[in-house]
Amino acid sequence: MRHIQRLFPVLALVIPLLILVFVIDQFGSASIQRVSTEALIRLVFAVGLYIFAGNSGIVSFGHMTFCAVAAYASAWQTCCSMLKPITMSGLPGFLRDNTIPLIPAGLTSIGLAGGTAFLSGLILMRLSSLSASISTLALLFILNVVYSNWSSVTMGNSTIVGLPVYVTIWVALAAAIVAIVIAYLYQKSRWGLMMRATREDEVAAQASGTSLYWSRLIAFTLSGFVAGLAGVLFAHFMGTVSISNFFLNQTFLIVAMLVIGGMQSLAGAVVGVTLISVLIEVLRRAEMGYSIGTMDFAIPRGSQELILAGIMLLILMFRKGGIMGGREFRWPWLVEDDGVREPELAKRARLLKMRLGVR
Amino acid sequence: MTNIVQVLIDAVALGSLYALVALAIGLVFGVMRLVNFAQGDYITVGAYSLVIPTFAATPAMMFGALPTVAMIFCVVLTVTILALLTERLAFRPLRNSDPTTLLISSFAVSYFLQSLILMLHGGRPKAINIGESLTTAVQLFGIRIPGVQLLTMGVAVTLLVTLVLFLKKTPIGIQLRAAAENFQMARLLGVPANRVIAIAFAISGILGGTISLLFVIQTGTLDIRMGVMPTVYAFFATVIGGIGSLPGAVVGGYIVGIVSVLLQSYLPEEMRAFRDAGVFTLVILILLVRPQGLIVTSAAKERV
Amino acid sequence: MTKSRKEKLEANDIHVDFGGIKALNGVTLTLNAGDILGLIGPNGAGKTTMVNVLSGFQKPSPGTVHLDGHDVSALSARKMAQAGIGRSFQAARLFRGLTVLENLVVAGLGIGMTRKGATAQAREILNWIGYHHGHDRRCESLPYSDERRISIARALALQPSFALLDEPASGMNEHECERLMETIVNIPKHYGCGVMLIEHNMQVIMGVCHRIHVLDGGRSLAEGTPEQVKKDPNVLRAYLGDRSSRAGAVI
Repeated sequence: MRHIQRLFPVLALVIPLLILVFVIDQFGSASIQRVSTEALIRLVFAVGLYIFAGNSGIVSFGHMTFCAVAAYASAWQTCCSMLKPITMSGLPGFLRDNTIPLIPAGLTSIGLAGGTAFLSGLILMRLSSLSASISTLALLFILNVVYSNWSSVTMGNSTIVGLPVYVTIWVALAAAIVAIVIAYLYQKSRWGLMMRATREDEVAAQASGTSLYWSRLIAFTLSGFVAGLAGVLFAHFMGTVSISNFFLNQTFLIVAMLVIGGMQSLAGAVVGVTLISVLIEVLRRAEMGYSIGTMDFAIPRGSQELILAGIMLLILMFRKGGIMGGREFRWPWLVEDDGVREPELAKRARLLKMRLGVR
Repeated sequence: MTNIVQVLIDAVALGSLYALVALAIGLVFGVMRLVNFAQGDYITVGAYSLVIPTFAATPAMMFGALPTVAMIFCVVLTVTILALLTERLAFRPLRNSDPTTLLISSFAVSYFLQSLILMLHGGRPKAINIGESLTTAVQLFGIRIPGVQLLTMGVAVTLLVTLVLFLKKTPIGIQLRAAAENFQMARLLGVPANRVIAIAFAISGILGGTISLLFVIQTGTLDIRMGVMPTVYAFFATVIGGIGSLPGAVVGGYIVGIVSVLLQSYLPEEMRAFRDAGVFTLVILILLVRPQGLIVTSAAKERV
Repeated sequence: MTKSRKEKLEANDIHVDFGGIKALNGVTLTLNAGDILGLIGPNGAGKTTMVNVLSGFQKPSPGTVHLDGHDVSALSARKMAQAGIGRSFQAARLFRGLTVLENLVVAGLGIGMTRKGATAQAREILNWIGYHHGHDRRCESLPYSDERRISIARALALQPSFALLDEPASGMNEHECERLMETIVNIPKHYGCGVMLIEHNMQVIMGVCHRIHVLDGGRSLAEGTPEQVKKDPNVLRAYLGDRSSRAGAVI
C-alpha cells in the first residue's frame, strides 16, 4: 500500500494516459491517432525540458538543439542508403556507406544528444540563471546556423526524406512513460532535491553546501538525453528531418504548454501538454472551418497562435504557477503531518474526541 | 585600403544599429528586470505599419504614402504607442515577478504580436519601396558609401547623443537613469515608478520605430520575423556589455556589430555562412571569461 | 558521517569596501568552539557584512579568515558551508517550495550525507528545537517565528563547527524569545559548536552570550563579557547617540 502511495504521482499520470491511448487506438480515426502520437512525442520533449527548467527554475530555450542533434544522427544512420553518398557526401565513411539497425541507431543518437547537452552545459551552467537562459537561445541559433549551412552533411535547409517510420502511438506512449519515470526518479533523488533548493533560493542553497554548477549540469545533461529521445521519435514518426522543425515555433509551443500546465511539477508538464494539444487541435479544425447546413464557420488563420499566446499571458498574470501550481498528484487520503501518515477518518475522529474533551 | 575603410564603415553602421536596439533592451531591463523579446516585434510592427494590411505580396502603402516627415512621425508614434500598450496591459500586472516569469511573458507577448501580424498580413515576405534613393552610394573622401549607411550612422549618433543628454541633463532623464541602475533605491528616493517605466518603454518604442524605418530602407522587404535577428543580437550585446548597464549595452552593440562584419569580410568563403554562429559562440565565450559582462554594475549582484 | 570539529574561527583585520562606503574597517574577532559570541551594534555597523565574510559570501580586502589556522579567505560560500560554517539569514531564506524536512535534508546532503542519514538527522534536529509536527508542511505557509527556528535548524543540519545566526529573534514576541534563548544556549552544549549571534534584542544578547563584540561604523568598539560591555562608556555613547537606542535595556 505504501508503495502505491509513494508511486501515486507517477501512476496518476501514466494510467490515464494508458487508458486514453487505448481508447484512441480502438476508436479513433487515423488522423486522431496521428495527432495523438505527435502529442505524445511532444510530451517526451516537454518532460525532458521540465527535468531541467522545472527543477532549476532556469528556462532553457535551447533544448530543441538536442532534439535536432538526435534526429539528424538517427537520420544519418538509418536513412537513404542509396542517396546518402550523394546528398550527404560530407559524412564520415562509416556513416555514409552503412546503414545501422534502428535500435542501436536510436540509442547512439540519444547518447549524442546527451553528450551535446553535457558539453554545452559545462560552459553554460557557469553562467547566472538569466545569462544561462539567454545563452541557451544562442545555442539554438548556433545549431540552426550550422545545420542550415553545412549542406554536405545535413542537406542544409532541405528536408531529408525516407527515414524508416516505426513510431506508432504505442511506441510513443512507451517512450512517454519512460520519460515520466526518469523525471520522477530524478526529482525524488538527492540531486533533484538539491536542484529544487537552488531554484527556491540560490544563496541559501550555497550556504547549505549545494553546488549550483554540478546540480544544474546533471539536470541539463539528463534533460538533454530525454530531449534526444524525443528527437529520434520525431524523426521516425514523420519519416523526414528538416532543421526548420527544430527552431523557435516548436520551442515556443512547448514552453507555452509548460507554463500553462505549471512548470514546476511533472504533473504540470503532462497536464499542460495534454490540454494544449487538445486545444490546438480543436482550433486547427476551427480554422479549417465547419459546415453547418449551408453555413461555413471558420476562425481566422493564425488565431491558434494568438489564443495560445493570450492564454499563456493570462496564466502568467493570474495563476503564475500554472494549472498544477507546482504540485504533483498526491494520494488523496493522505494527511501529511509528522511523517506519520494518518488516514483522514482517523484524524477527524481524533480531532472530534479532542473537541468533546473525550480521552 | 579602401576595402578596410569600407569594412570599418559597415561595421560601425551595423554596430550603431545594434547599439540602438541594445539600448532599448537595456533601458527596459534596467527598470524592470525584463528582457523584452517583444522589442523585435515593435520593429516589425513599425515596418508593417507602412503598408495596408493585406495578404498581397506588393501591398499598397499606408503610412508609406505620406510625405517623409509625416511618415517617420506616424511610424515612430505607432510603435511608441504599441510599446506603451504592451507595458500597460501585459507587463505592468507582472511587474514584481521573478526574472524567469518576466522572460517567458515577453516571449509570449512577442509571439502574440507575431501572430497578429501573421493574421493581418499573411506569412509571406513582401517587397516595399521606401527611400530607395538612399541606397545609392555617395562619394565621400574618395570612398563610395551607400547613402543608407550614412543615414544609419547619422541617425544612430544623433539618437545616442540625444539620449545621453536626456539621461544626464533633464530631471526625468536623471530619474530614469537612477531607476535603471538601481530601481529599489530610486523608488526609496521618490522616483515615480509608473512614469519612469512608461518613459523607458516609450523610448524603446521610439528607438524601435526608427530602426524599423532604417531596416526597410536597407532591405526593401517586410517579413514577420524581420525584428527577431537584430533583437537576438541585441540581447547578446547587452549580455556582453553587462546586464544592467546602459553604457554596457551600447558598447556591447558595437562589439557585436563590428565582430559580425569583420567575420563576414575576413572569413574564408566557405565559412562565411557560419558567421552568425561565430558571433553567438563569441558571446558565450565572453560570458565564460567575464560572466557579469564587460561593465559590472551593482544591479547585477544580488544582496545577501 | 560526522566531520571533524574545528576549534577556532578567526577574522583578522577585515576590511570591506562597497564602492566608497567602508562597511568594515579593520575588524578582528575570534570565535571558539563552545562559545556564544554576540555581535551587536547600531544599524549599518557592519554586522551582516561580517557574517557574510565569515561564511564566504564576501571576500575581505584586505583581511583574512582562518579556520583552525588554515586560511579560508578565498573559499566560496559553499566550501565554507562544507568546511563547517553554518549560517542563518536575516530574511530566513527558507526553500519555500520544499517541506520543512526537505529544507534540512538539503543541508545534510550538502555535507555529503546519504539520503537516509540526512533525513534521520533532519527529524532529530527538528524535534530537538521543539518542532515536532508538520515536518511535511511546505514552507511557504509557515508562521514567521517558525520560519526563523527552522532556518536555525537548517544551519545546524550542516553539522557546523560554527553557527552564525543573523537576527534570529527579530519579530518574535516575549514567549518566543525565551524559547529561542533556551535553544541557542543549548546549541554549544548539544552540538559542541561555537555560536555567533547578531541581534538587536538586548534581552536575548545579554541572556545567552558568553562574550559580546560591539561594532560601530565598521570598527570594533568594545569586546568583553556582557557585564563589561554594559558599562563601557564608548558603547553607551554609541547607543545613546543612536535615536533608536535601547539604552534602557543596555543599562
